[in-house]
This record gives sequence, structure tokens and C-alpha cells, in this order.
Amino acid sequence: MSAGASRDVGMMAEVSQSSDLAQGGSVEQEGADHQEHIENETCPETLQAPIDISEVEPTNTKLEISDKESHHGDEDDSRNDPNHSLLKAATDAINEQCSCTDGSLEDKPKVSDETEEAPSFMEQSGGLVEEEEMSNGGLKRDSKETTKEDKGSLDAGECLQQSCNTDGETDIMYDCSQPPQPMHTTGEEPLCKDTTDGKDTEMIHEKSPEQSNIEASPNETKLNNGLMDSEQRQLEDDYKELADTASDNTLEDSGDFPGISSVVGGVTSDASPPTTPVQREEDVTAESWRTKRKHVFVLSEAGKPIYSRYGNEEALSSTMGVMMALVSFVQSGNNAIRSIHSDAQKVVFLQQGPLVLVSVSRAPQSEEQLRKELQYVYYQIISMLTQASVARIFERKKNYDLRRLLAGSEKILDSLLDLLDTDPGFLLGAVRCVALPSPLRDSLSSILTKAITPNLVFSILVAEQKLVTVVQERAVIEDCRLDPADLHLLLNLIGASSAFQAGEIWTPICLPRFNPDGYFYAYISYLDPECTVCLVLLSTDKESFYAVSGCKKKIQEAMEAQNSLQALAGALRCCSYSVSLVGVPELLHFVYKPLDIPETYRQLPQFTSPETDGPYSSEEERQRLFDLYRYLHCRIHSSARPLRLIYHVAEKETLLAWVTSKFELYTAFSSLVTKVGAINVITKLLRWIKREEDRLFIRYPPKYSTTPVPGKGAKSSKSDRTDSSQNGFFTGL
Amino acid sequence: MSLRPVSELLMAFAVQEKHYPPSLLSFFIYNPKFGPREGEEEKKILFYHPSEIEKNEKIKNVGLCEAIVQFTRTFNPTKPAQSLHTQKNRQFFHEPEDGFWMVMVVQNPVVEKQKDGKAVFEYQEDELLDKVYSSVLKQCYKMYKLFNGTFNKAMEAGGVTLLKDRLEKFFIRYLQTLHLQSCDLLDVFSGISFFPLDKMTYLKIQSFINRVEENLSLVKYTAFLYNDQLIWSGLEQEDMRILYKYLTTSLFPRHIEPELAGRDSPLRPEMPGNLQHYGRFLTGPLNLHDPEAKFRFPKIFVNTDDNYEELHLIVYKAMSAAVCFMIDASVPLTPDFCRKLDSLVGPQLTVLASDICEQYNINKRISGSEKEPQFKFIYFNHMNLAEKSTIHLKKTPSVSLTSVQPELMKILGDINSDFTRVDEDEEIIVKAMSDYWVVGKKSDQRELYVILNQKNSNLIEVNDEIKKLCATQFSNIFFLD
Repeated sequence: MSAGASRDVGMMAEVSQSSDLAQGGSVEQEGADHQEHIENETCPETLQAPIDISEVEPTNTKLEISDKESHHGDEDDSRNDPNHSLLKAATDAINEQCSCTDGSLEDKPKVSDETEEAPSFMEQSGGLVEEEEMSNGGLKRDSKETTKEDKGSLDAGECLQQSCNTDGETDIMYDCSQPPQPMHTTGEEPLCKDTTDGKDTEMIHEKSPEQSNIEASPNETKLNNGLMDSEQRQLEDDYKELADTASDNTLEDSGDFPGISSVVGGVTSDASPPTTPVQREEDVTAESWRTKRKHVFVLSEAGKPIYSRYGNEEALSSTMGVMMALVSFVQSGNNAIRSIHSDAQKVVFLQQGPLVLVSVSRAPQSEEQLRKELQYVYYQIISMLTQASVARIFERKKNYDLRRLLAGSEKILDSLLDLLDTDPGFLLGAVRCVALPSPLRDSLSSILTKAITPNLVFSILVAEQKLVTVVQERAVIEDCRLDPADLHLLLNLIGASSAFQAGEIWTPICLPRFNPDGYFYAYISYLDPECTVCLVLLSTDKESFYAVSGCKKKIQEAMEAQNSLQALAGALRCCSYSVSLVGVPELLHFVYKPLDIPETYRQLPQFTSPETDGPYSSEEERQRLFDLYRYLHCRIHSSARPLRLIYHVAEKETLLAWVTSKFELYTAFSSLVTKVGAINVITKLLRWIKREEDRLFIRYPPKYSTTPVPGKGAKSSKSDRTDSSQNGFFTGL
Repeated sequence: MSLRPVSELLMAFAVQEKHYPPSLLSFFIYNPKFGPREGEEEKKILFYHPSEIEKNEKIKNVGLCEAIVQFTRTFNPTKPAQSLHTQKNRQFFHEPEDGFWMVMVVQNPVVEKQKDGKAVFEYQEDELLDKVYSSVLKQCYKMYKLFNGTFNKAMEAGGVTLLKDRLEKFFIRYLQTLHLQSCDLLDVFSGISFFPLDKMTYLKIQSFINRVEENLSLVKYTAFLYNDQLIWSGLEQEDMRILYKYLTTSLFPRHIEPELAGRDSPLRPEMPGNLQHYGRFLTGPLNLHDPEAKFRFPKIFVNTDDNYEELHLIVYKAMSAAVCFMIDASVPLTPDFCRKLDSLVGPQLTVLASDICEQYNINKRISGSEKEPQFKFIYFNHMNLAEKSTIHLKKTPSVSLTSVQPELMKILGDINSDFTRVDEDEEIIVKAMSDYWVVGKKSDQRELYVILNQKNSNLIEVNDEIKKLCATQFSNIFFLD
């Protein structure tokens, strides 16, 4: 009953906040309930909209909740703290919003009142809340049952979400897209009306028939297309109805974005949700901005800024306008702009659908490499939105401001760009594994293979951002394998978001290399209090949260039984190795990517490299070494003139890059080594790697098969609705 | 199986690919200051090739260049764009004088393929080497400057009209001599090939030049070449570099064909009383005794950065020896002077040329006995611009023939640009997909590039080969091992 204890604490001074935390991701839903509350009190319109959404969901949820209670009675409150901070952020956001909206002053106090009330609710719900914690944000539907006060606390969450541009509307849209469930829909419609801004109630009414039509249409089983249609229609309606462009935007956003955005939003919220991080305030005319090593910009075809690595996009809008002008001018000549080269820098353009990505780099990288990095940035955006939805959004409205959907995700893109500058994995298209004794890895893998549920396709265990093991469904993905790029993006997403450290997360995610238009549902949960070991389970079924969560429980139990976590922690401590381990003093550093993968195992490309110590221990030298590897990589893999081998002697070190059918190797030797000496070193190194192979790499990734349960469909159809509607929320915080 | 013939047919179609080499799409020169106001954009354009392009199109293309340059300045005000890569072409920018921009647009090589009966064009975007074509563009300016002086001087002398006139006259002809498909690393170096000579012969040449300069006090500078290779020059290095380029790629080749046909350097029986000699003017009058002959020599501009000298260029040749005499342009060159020069230089140069030839043949016999070496190389010294290539068989005005695959030449270019990244001694050995080994060495100001024919050798054997080469060809130069 530790949970209970925590609650008590919550009841004290900061009661309201803690209670929110306890509910974990549920914030959003509660928010909905809350909204009712707010509406009564005539809150600002902005706040209201989100509320409606949340309300819609609860109807269906109740059943599930009760189940959960029984199952997950006792859970740890570990999440509380992070949530707490989130909540704070959320409230801040609310305050901000309030201050923005008319009559802000009045609103503020109200909100705070509500939050304070929340604690009492918490107490009442008692056990319920605990369960909710366990089950994660998605569970929040419980809030339906819960009293309004509870919702008050959630409200904060909602607002946050809103600030992140995920709108209540979105969720509604989702519901609509769901397979026909007339009952539900009808129930929801009224809710929708209530929820949307008071002003627009009429509009909403008009919409509802459309929505129901949409629901009826048979195609909508799969997320994207069906969803998008419905969304779009609704958006259209919105357009008609809303003269005000600002509100227009918000509505749109909500429609298109399933939920990750909200996750992201949660993350950023640590700082201050809607506002931009400090570094973005940088003066874009200053020399320090100009001389950044690598700028990255993302803009829409209409020239609207979407992302800038440094400096505020708003301040850069004219620069981005010029970029777009260049792109479209060249395009008008039936041509395509690729890059601009000058002495000290390269400007590389990449056009992907309706997005234009631009890199301005002083780093000694090839155009090809910079373009590949932009591709990663694009994929990361797609991993949150899907390609199809981005395309649709811009089909609908050319000058749409995509930042609405991506708000908060700057942090994820920032972190991706930092990784691109340090992690050879992106360059090599390979992932780095935790070096583990193979029996330990095997036992972990077998734990994963045993904890399965229908529609589970990938089980991934990660420690310190490095792969421990990945297990994949046999039948579904016979011909495909998890692309390293997708895994990189996934790991970056997790690593960049401290929010994921809070309990269980259920979020739609797109693996762009696997399928740029579809979502997987990722279950993400850390297995240890220090948040080093993270479990990621990918399912194709958005309703399967509880089932997948059950898998996690199984996995956790099995790992506890085998003491795996401790073993893993032990292995992690000595996981990174020094190059001196190879026992050749002339060898300064190396990167090795095996290519001799058994045909039958279409496994993930992997690589290994020692720590950058010795001469490369300083940040500057590490960057220099990485730049040297980039240089070798670009020459040896040049698209026009690839090479088999490069031997490069310079003053500081001697480099060797070598691609054979068995491996790809990049090494740095001390500059005193002779060619004969270097060849000896390589021989020894290859021998050493052969010896350590089983420890350094996943040699034979296991697979499982999850036989689909045919009966599931019927049973789940009802609950599906609710789940789907929750999806956005789930992920929300 | 019945489909097989069809697929074979398709294969046959696929083979019928047409390859188009890189080509010059356009070349223009503009100065944004000349038409700053809207509606006056056309005034910016000083030269545009091809001239038949529609006016608005010209203005648009110039506008794009301005935008690109301006855009890159937002990130680096001092180092604006040098090239723009697009799917179909590359544009190279060069601002040789403040405000004056030269732009060269080169179309990427194209492969025409047949797909479903339709021609599909694939642009090969990674084939052109920026450094090579940037160098070509810079050379365009230098060549213009050699014969016309700077843009600014023309502006001072006769305003935009004069400048436009000069640009038109020069570039219309010059652009036709740009053979973009055969540009390579040598265009980057644009070095000078020196004629190897023993000390005695070298002194003979020295004393010849001194004698001539003493007798013809008008002569300001002299340069001496043999066999298209330089032996002595009194010009500044940079000026000699571009003059050498002109002589070897334009002037000499124009006169070489008649020689080959046996009509060249006839003895001149029509000059009784004179010593028989083979000397003749390559610039100026063809026949000194023709009363109709015009005694006009091309003018060149040297030292444009400081003294700004305008000179007459007299090129006089006897057999394989050629001498350039440069005389201040303010002095009119009379037929008398030319006759004096002819009678003074002709006989001496004829003797000297045969001396050098003899010496050259002796040297060749000593070292030339060895069989075809296992390698081909290019050497360049940044300090004296000395260049040596065994890769290029022959440099004619139309083609530079190389004896290696174009892919390998491009790898040489890649290695060269790798060398310029860092200012330190380096060695790069690579093995191409075709299994050829390519070695680049940079030591101090010298660069050496070697292509080895032995495909099956390993790194150590390659290293040994290179050592051998350095020992025989460059024994006095230290290269990083």
C-alpha cells in the first residue's frame, strides 16, 4: 500500500499535484471530466475544447477499469515524481494559456481551485487510483467514474496537451474512424457538442451526422486511411465554421495527431510546455548563431518554418522563405536543387513529400552524408506523424503550420541531431549492442519469447540506449527485419523523453522504414528504478495495451526470478571496453561492422567499437576522430566511386578503412605504425573480434510466433472503441 | 520460357544506352550593381552565352545566382557560394573582381535509356568534380585577363559598352575551346611542364637569351620553351602559368598540324644573304617581306595587381624551340624591328634547337631503355608549378587523351580534394572496385599520384612499388613513407 502512503503525502501541501501524478498518464482523461467542471464555470474556450474529448472516452472505459482494478491492485508509485513535474509544467502551461486568453485572471484561480479539489477525489477513489497508475495513462478513462474534482486535476494535463496542439478533437476523430459502433458514436456525439467551444456548438451538430457516416464506412478498420478521411472531413467542417484562423489551426492539429505529440509535449513540458527552449531564443543575426557547426531546418512547401536546430523558427522565417524560394525556383525549371557548396560550408537540401529539409554544415562531411542525416530527421518526424498524415495535412492546407503538431518534439529532433554527430550507428546503418555473455543474452531473449500476446511483433530490450536483445514475430515479418534506422529513431525517441520514465507508456509510433504510413503501438516501460533498462513492446493492435502490459509483467517476473536485472546491471558496468583490451598498443580505436550474417537470420546490422579513450578522450578529439571516420565512410561508400580499401597516413594517426564481404572495418593507428605493422594489428584485431563475437553481437536473434486469436475480434470490438479513443490520451503524458 | 526472347530483347535495348558527356549549358557574367532597380535587371548582364536565350530567362537565371550568393552570405558573409548542385547540372560561381560574377553552368553527364519505348534520361549527379570545374572557370577569367586586362580597367577606359564588347569578342571564341568532358586533375593544378636539361645546354640557353635581350633592348621579358615544355621564363609565375596554358593548348597546337604535314619550317631560300634557318613568327606576320603584311602582335596584360603592364607578345619558333619576346605595348613594332629580330634570333635558335634535341636524345637513350613501367603518375609542385604526367598521352586543343579509366582519374581528383582539407603531409592509398591501386602522396608543397597496374598485389607490395618509383623518378624529394 505504498501507493496509499504516497497519496497521503499528496494530500498535504501539494496534494493536488501529487494526485495527478498518481494517476500517471491519465491526466488527459481526467482533464476531460475536469472540463465539464470548467465549462460550468465558464472557462476560456481554449480550455474547453480539450475537455470534451476526454469526456467522450469514459463511457466505454468503465468496464475495463474494473478489470484492471482487480488485476493490478498493488503497484508502485514510482511514477509519481515525474508526473509531478509534468503536472507542474501543465499547470504552468495552463496559467500561461489563461493569461493569454481573455479574462485570463479569472480563469487562473479557478483552475487552481480545481486542482486543489483533486486530492479529495483521489482519496475517494483510493484503490482505483492505484490501479490506474499501474495501467498507465491510457487507463485514465476511469476518470469517468471519478468525480469532477478529479477531473480538475486532469484539466491541467489537458491544457498541457492543448498547448502541445493535441486537441480533444483529435480523439473524437479517432473514435469516428473506428469500425461502426453506432451505440458508442451516438453516445459520443452529444459529448462532442458539449465539449467543443460554446461558440461553435452549432457547428458541431452539423458535424456529427458526418461523423456517423464516416464511422459506418467499412474501410476504416486500419488506422491511417480511415482515420484520415474522417479527420479531414471534420477538419473541413472546422474550416467552414471557424473564421478565426488560430482556432482553425488547433482544431486541425488535433485531428491529425494521434498522440505522440502529446508525449512529446509532456516531455518538453518539463521546461515550460508551449514556449520554446532557451537555445531557440538565440539571436539569429549573431555571429555565434551563424558559425554553428551544423544548422538543420525543416520547413513546409509553403515556406512555413517547422523546425530549426538553433534559433527561433519565427525569427528565421525569412531565411526559410528564401530556402523555399530557391527550392521552388529550381523546381520550376524542371530540375531539383541538391546543394550549395562554398569554401567553409555546405548547404544540402532534401525534399520529402511536402517537407523541405535543409542542412547548413561546416562539418567536413560529404553531401551524401548530410542528406542521409536529413533523411533521419524526416523519418523521425514521420515516426511521430506518419507519412500519409503529413501528406494529407498539406494536401488539405498548403500553409498549415506543422509546428502545431510537433510542438514539444523539438527536443526529440535536437537529441537526434546530437546523436547523429556522435553515434557511428547512424552512419553505418547498424546498432550497437550491449556486450553480454551469450548465456545471459539468450536467457533474456527466451524470457521475451515467452511473454507474448497476439499482434505483438517486436520485443526489444534496451539498456543505456544500447540494444540488449530484440525478438521478433516470426510469421508477420518473415521477409522484413527491423531496420536499424527505425530502431535508432525509436531509441532516440525514448532517450529524449524523460516522460517515458514514468510508468508505462502506450503510444502509437510509426516505423518509417518498415512502413511509413502505418502505426505500431509501442509499449514502453523501464524495468528498474534507475531507468537504465527499458522494455519496448511493439504491437499492431492499438487495443492491446492491457495484454501487452501483461507481457511486461510476465517478463518482469521472469527476470526477477532469474535475477536477470542484476546480471544485466553487472554486465553493463563492464559493457563498454577499452581498445587496450585487444592488446595491441598501436591500435588507437576501431569500428567494426560484421557482414557475415547467416542467411537464414535476417538480423539487425550491428557494430561494435571501444570507448574513445587515450588520445580521443577529449570532446574535441572525439569529434575529430568521428569526422575522420565519416571521411573514410564517405569515400569507401561513395555512390559514384566506391572503394575497397583506404589506407591514410597523416600526422596524428594512420587510418584504415576496409570493406570485404565479411566485414566493414575502420581503424585508427598511431601514426608511427608501418604498413607491415598495421596489417599485423588488423590480423590481431580480427582474431580478437572473432573470439569475442558472441559477447559483442547478437548472433542468432530468436523469433516467436503469436498465433492470432480469432475470437478476439468480436469480444474486443466494443472495448476497441474506447481504447482507440484513449490512444491519444494514453500517450499524452 | 516464352518470355525469354522478349527479355533478351529488352536486354538488348538496355544495352543501347547513349552516354552524353558533360557539356556547357550556359556561361554568363553579371554585376548586380549595374542594374540595382527593378525593371533594370537586364543591365546587370554583361555577357550571356548562349546569346539567343530569351531576355527574361537570362534575368531569371542571373537572379537565381544572386539569390544563392546572398543566401549563403547569411551564414558566412566572407565565403559565399562557389557551386550549386542540381539534379541536372552544376553551376559554378566566381567573383574575380569586386561585384563581377562569372557563372558557368555545366550539364551533368546523361545516360539515355530506353524504357517502354521511351527515352529516359538519367543524370549522373556525382560525376563532375567541383574542384576541376571551378578551376576551369577561374582559368576562363585569367585567360580573359591575359588578353584584355581586368574588368575594371575596361570600365575605366570605355565603360560598360567597352567591357561588354571585349567580353563578347573574347568569350564567344574562347568558350568553344573549353572541352569540358576532358577536364581533370591537371586543370586543377594548371601547372607547367619543365623540360629536363643538363647544365651545359641550360647555360647555352641562358646566354642566348642574354644576348638577344642586349641586342633588342625593347624586349622586356623572355620565355623559352622546347617541345611544349618550359625552360626559362622572365615573367612572374602566375603570368607565365596562364601564358603557358595559352601557348600549349591554343597557339602551338594550331601550328603543329602543318609541321606534321611536312610543310612547316621550310628552309627559307627566299632570304638570300642570310644564314639559312628555320625560324618563323607564330604571332605577327607570316611573311616578313610581304608588303601587305600587318605587323600586329597580340597584346597581353601582366602584373595586373601592381604595375599593370600591357605588352606585345611575339612568339618565334625554330623547330621545337619557341621563344616568347614581350615588348611594352606603347612601343609600335615596325617591320624593321621584326626583320632584325628574325635575322638575329633565327639562326641562333635553329642551332640551339638542334643542340637541345641532340642532348635530349642522349638522355633518352640512357634512361629510356627500360620497358613500360608498372605505373602511371602525375606529379605537381605548388612552389614552382612544375607538373609531370605520364597519364596524359597528349594534350591537343580538342582532347586530352589519358591512358587510364576515367573512374581512376576521378579517384585522383577525390584524393586531391582530401589533401586540401588538412594542411599537413599525408599519404592515401586506395583500392578501387576495379582492383587498381591508387596512391596519393603529399609532402610539403609537392603532390604525387600514382596508378598501379598490378591488380593482385597487396598493400605492402604496393608500398614497395611506390618506394621504387620515388627512388627512380624523385630521388631528391622526400616523401612521407
